[in-house]
Order: sequence, then structure tokens, then C-alpha cells
Amino acid sequence: MAVSGRNIVIPHLGRVEGHGGIFVKIVGNAVQEVNMDIFEGSRYYEALLKGKHFLDVQGIITRVCAICSASHTVAALTAIENALGVEQTERVHALRGLMLLGGTIESHALHVFALALPDFLGFDSVISMAASYPQEVAFALRLKQLGNQVQGLVGGRAVHPVNTLVGGFGRLPRHRELEGLRRELVAALDPLMRFVDLAATIPVPEWAAQPTVYLALRPYTDAFRFRGRSICTSRGEEYPIESYRDVVREYTVEHSHAKFSALASGETYMVGSLARLKLWGDLLRGRAAEAMAKLFPSGVVDNILLNNWAQLVELVHAVEHAAEVCEDLLGLPEADREMVAYQVRAGRGVGAIEVPRGTLFHEYEIDAEGRIVSANVITPTAQNLANTERDLRTAVEHLLAARQGDNDATLKLNLEMVARAYDPCISCSVHLTRLSPAAD
Amino acid sequence: MTASKPKVGIFGLTGCAGDQLQILNCEDQLLRLAERLDIVDWVMARSNNDHTCRLDVAFVEGVVATERDLETLKEIRARATTLVAIGTCAVWGGLPAMHNEIPREVLQREVYHRDTAFLDTVEARPATHFVPFELQLPGCPIEREEFLKLVNAVLLGSRPELPTVPVCWECKTKENICRVVHFGEVCCGSMTRGGCGARCPSHGVACAGCRGPVEEPNYDANITMFADRGISWVEIARRMSHFSAPVWMTHGLEKEVQRGRQR
Repeated sequence: MAVSGRNIVIPHLGRVEGHGGIFVKIVGNAVQEVNMDIFEGSRYYEALLKGKHFLDVQGIITRVCAICSASHTVAALTAIENALGVEQTERVHALRGLMLLGGTIESHALHVFALALPDFLGFDSVISMAASYPQEVAFALRLKQLGNQVQGLVGGRAVHPVNTLVGGFGRLPRHRELEGLRRELVAALDPLMRFVDLAATIPVPEWAAQPTVYLALRPYTDAFRFRGRSICTSRGEEYPIESYRDVVREYTVEHSHAKFSALASGETYMVGSLARLKLWGDLLRGRAAEAMAKLFPSGVVDNILLNNWAQLVELVHAVEHAAEVCEDLLGLPEADREMVAYQVRAGRGVGAIEVPRGTLFHEYEIDAEGRIVSANVITPTAQNLANTERDLRTAVEHLLAARQGDNDATLKLNLEMVARAYDPCISCSVHLTRLSPAAD
Repeated sequence: MTASKPKVGIFGLTGCAGDQLQILNCEDQLLRLAERLDIVDWVMARSNNDHTCRLDVAFVEGVVATERDLETLKEIRARATTLVAIGTCAVWGGLPAMHNEIPREVLQREVYHRDTAFLDTVEARPATHFVPFELQLPGCPIEREEFLKLVNAVLLGSRPELPTVPVCWECKTKENICRVVHFGEVCCGSMTRGGCGARCPSHGVACAGCRGPVEEPNYDANITMFADRGISWVEIARRMSHFSAPVWMTHGLEKEVQRGRQR
């Protein structure tokens, strides 16, 4: 070869959920190829659901991914209830919302503090970080535990909920349990705000910044919420949830075997915390609005590394709002169980939820006997893969142009930071397929 | 003291990462664990891992669903003195092994609607099918307390004392109302290994069998018990086929189901 070329290979990306790597091919000073390689094995969940009874869907589909089990549970139940025409009661709606908030607290605390923050402070793990920041790490773990407590109380277990049924819940939390939880949530707010102050002092590099299209659900009410009623983009487009297949175009690419996603225009886009703050950040209230003002003083800026801080803002919102939901639930009379009666009928239903990593779509078609005819799941990580590759490419180009790209080790760390900022959930993204590892 | 810290690796094959997450979910104990164990290889939680050193203890979750998984598993086996299977996938195959009777090509076509000859995929089998393991800890996901008990036993050089009673036994001690007798549901509690404290029946939900079979489960008697209560073969098979699919097929239930479908 006349022009010198080199490959940057990260064979196994650390501090993310699941198994993936990054492959970058540089020839001279030009980036030729950027691949997110994902070598998680296939489990074919959607295909396995065919012929199963709709009552069995939640217990199966939750096991696509442990970290996102509350998210998959609520999305699946919502889709199935939409297909059957089941209306959620006020209490069921509130409790599912509370479980989603618990999942968000656990997931964001895990990602911001244990997976991402070590990069910004120069450690290889949260465990080694604990030596220098013992109080901070102890609080971060406590916060993660609080998220699990919320999920445990509502779902019966922190991972793969068991209490969540089509039409309701097997066991309702007692008032004294809700009151205890509410007090712990309120007590977590002050120490959490101190983290916001700490984060505001950490400089965030700009070598991955570039204009981006964002997508998120419009909240079902005039407030910052993780459940919505339509799909919106940062370019002002709005679509009904049922038309998600027209908005999110899945396609296959030759260099990787996973389904990628783009908008109808062909543009890649980002889903997740940064997208939600970009679109609906002005709906935040209370301490979350304070956190937003501190971490995004001039609004949301196009820089994927800021997604970590966006998650921190959402963490404040989730803790604050979960306490409010507990209070709402305490206003309802105490009961043992809540189940809506319904008739089994043939139908098709979509459930779309804003989950920690972005917009999650579930769709099921049910026959008159209650059997699953078809199932479709589009995860946030799969939607973000194309945009991740785009941001990785930009990062390499910027670093090469700034003559900071000569050192492979630095370049690798920077690429890992970009991939980790998306908080990829690889088990989710490849619930149905497998990508071959990078080969040169 | 640090010289005696065992070198530990934590690995995931194909799966949901739920058992590794349960280790991270030992929030209260995580830093103490880190004091007593030298965790040198754990891709999910740290960078700069040592992928080749000898390991005193290795924990493996997930199923083997690709050729690559099998290579990884063999490498871990070769490095580890004590190999521990964590989670129902690694021990029994779990949900990914639910429909191994369906050829993978059919599943691929179902998902992709195109030729998928390029995919590397094999039937999902438990890690324990391929290499010997010193210890096995089932659960979907594993229980944190059981994991901590197991780690303690390993540190002391003994074997963990884990429950061998069925979920049904734990359910009785909680004085729950029986899902079979009072609600006429297919509950797998009497066939499933306990240790979860009968979590599902305690929430008013029948046991799905996620912890895998208890020793010497009496499937036939259970199936008869359900059928005697007027539950259809199809319904019995539906409930029992999640985590114990390979089992009910060998007990003649499949034939009954087919007859039931013809009726």
C-alpha cells in the first residue's frame, strides 16, 4: 500500500451492557470505515413469541434485557392492553409509571456513576474510583439501590418483574411501604443535587459535537413524562404512535448484521435523555429544572458526551417525580389487588415508552383465541447505532485534524467515551440477531 | 492480606446480563466484595481487564448460542480453578432454549424476511452442557443473598449451603393461598427449586418455574393434578413449557396436547 493505513480495534467494549466492539479503519489522514460491532448471540425472542398466549408475553419479553426489564414489561403490557381494548385504572397507570421511574433511577445511576463517570475522572471502574471518592461512590450505589427498591416494591423484584399482569397487579403496595419509599426518595434529593454541582465543574470535551436530529415521545400530559401520545422530532414533525414503522425505518447494512434505523429522509437520529431534554426540557419543574439550568445553562447543545449530564438531570426528575407519584397513590384507598376485567378478542396494539436509553416500541397482533400472531420490538439502542457510528467518525476526524489522533490509546479511550455516552444496551439491540466481530 | 485475595473473573455468554446485574445490585456489599475479591476480568463493569491470567474463581452466565460463545467458555474453563454457573440460562438453558425444536433458519427468516446464511447461530444450550462446572447457582435472575452466600463459602474453602426444597415448600411456610387448590391455576411451584422465598405466589401469581427443576420433580403427578381440576392439556403445556420445555415433551404431554388440539 502506498498510503499508510491503520486500524483502531476495540475488540470488547468495557463498561457497557452486552458484548460489542468498535472497528475504525484510517488510511493516511482519512477515516475509511467505522463499525459498531456487536457479537452478542441471537435469542430470537420475537419469533419465539409466535403462538404463545398473550398472558405469557411479559414474562418472556422482559428477559430480553435485565437492566431494561421494567421498560419492556410496561411497553409489552401497554401494547397488549391496546390490542385488547383494556383501559388502565388510575392506580395501575400510576404504579406502572412509578416502576418506570424506578427503572430510570437504577439505570441512570448505574450508567452515570459506575459506567461513564470513571472516564471523566480518570479511573477504570467505579470500584477503583471508590478509593478517591468514597462518599460519592457510596451515595451513587445507594441511589441505584433506591431505584431497585422502587422496582421491587411495584414489580415484586428489581430484575424481571413478577407482579405485573395484563389489566393490573397481583399485589398492591401497602400505604406504609409507599410512605417509607416516599421519605427515602425525598431524602435523596439534596445529596443528588450536590452531584449536579460536581458535574457542572467537570469540563466536557467537544470533539464529538455535531448537529443532530432528536426523536422523543410527546408527553401524555403537559409535563415532563416518560410516557407519551405521539412521536416528535426536533425538526417539528409529529406522528401518531401507531405509525411508528413509517417513522422509524429499519434497514440492514452489509458491514454489520444488525438492523439499523433512520428516518424516512435517510437521516440518522438520536433517542435518549439528551433528545428528551432537547424536546421537552422546558417542561421540567422543581429541582430538575434547577439541575437543567446548572448543567445546560444555554439549553441543550449538540454534543453526545452531554448525554451523561442529561441523564443526571433526568435522575433528579425521576427521584422527585417518583416521590410525587407515591403521594398520589397514598391518596387512593388501600387495596390488596387491582385487576380490570376484559374480554379476549383479536387485535393489534402498539406500546411506545420513553425508557432510559430512548424510545422503545412494542407491537403485538393477537388472534381471537389470545395467541400471538406477530410481535415486533424496536429498541432505543438499535435506533441509536447508526448515529453512534456517525459520531464515532466525527470524533476520529476531529482528533486527527487537531493532531491528537496519533496515539492509539488516546483515540481508543475517546471512541469508547462516545460509544458509552449513548449508554448502549446490547442485549436489547440484538435480541434478535448477531453481528460478526470486526475483521480486517 | 492482599496476597490471599482470590483472582476472580465474571463473564456473560449470550443472555440478558441479569445475573451480572444482580452482582452489581449487591450495592451494600459491592465495595466489601471488592475488598475480598481481586476482580481482574469483568468487561461489564470495568475497562483494562486481564483476559489471559489464571483465575481462582470464574462466574459464567448465559447460554451458548454461537460458536464464539463456546470458544469463550472453553477459554474460561481452561483459566479457572473453580467455575461457577450463575443463572438459569447457564445451568438449564432458560428461555433462549425454549424452542430448540424449531430450526434456527426458520427463526431467522421469521425475523429478517431474507436469506440469513451469513449469521453464526446455533441452538441455545446451557453452559453446563459443554464443560464441567464446580458449582451451579440457578435463578432468573439469581438471588443476591444466594450469590453472597456462595461467595462466602468459596472464600472459606467450603461449599455453599443452598436450598434443595421446592418453591411450594417455601410458599407453604409463608401461608400463601395455593394457586392450584384455590384458584385452579397451573403453578410450577412443587416442581421448581426454591430459594426465591416463593416470590411469585406471594404476589398472587403462579410460579413459572424460572429457577429450574428441583431434584426428582414429579411431573406426571403434577400434570395429573392439573388435569383433574379440569385444566386443558393445552393450558397445562402452555404454563409448563417456559422454563421446562424439554421436560414436558418427554412426559407424553405433547401427545396429549395434540389430542387436545384435535378435540
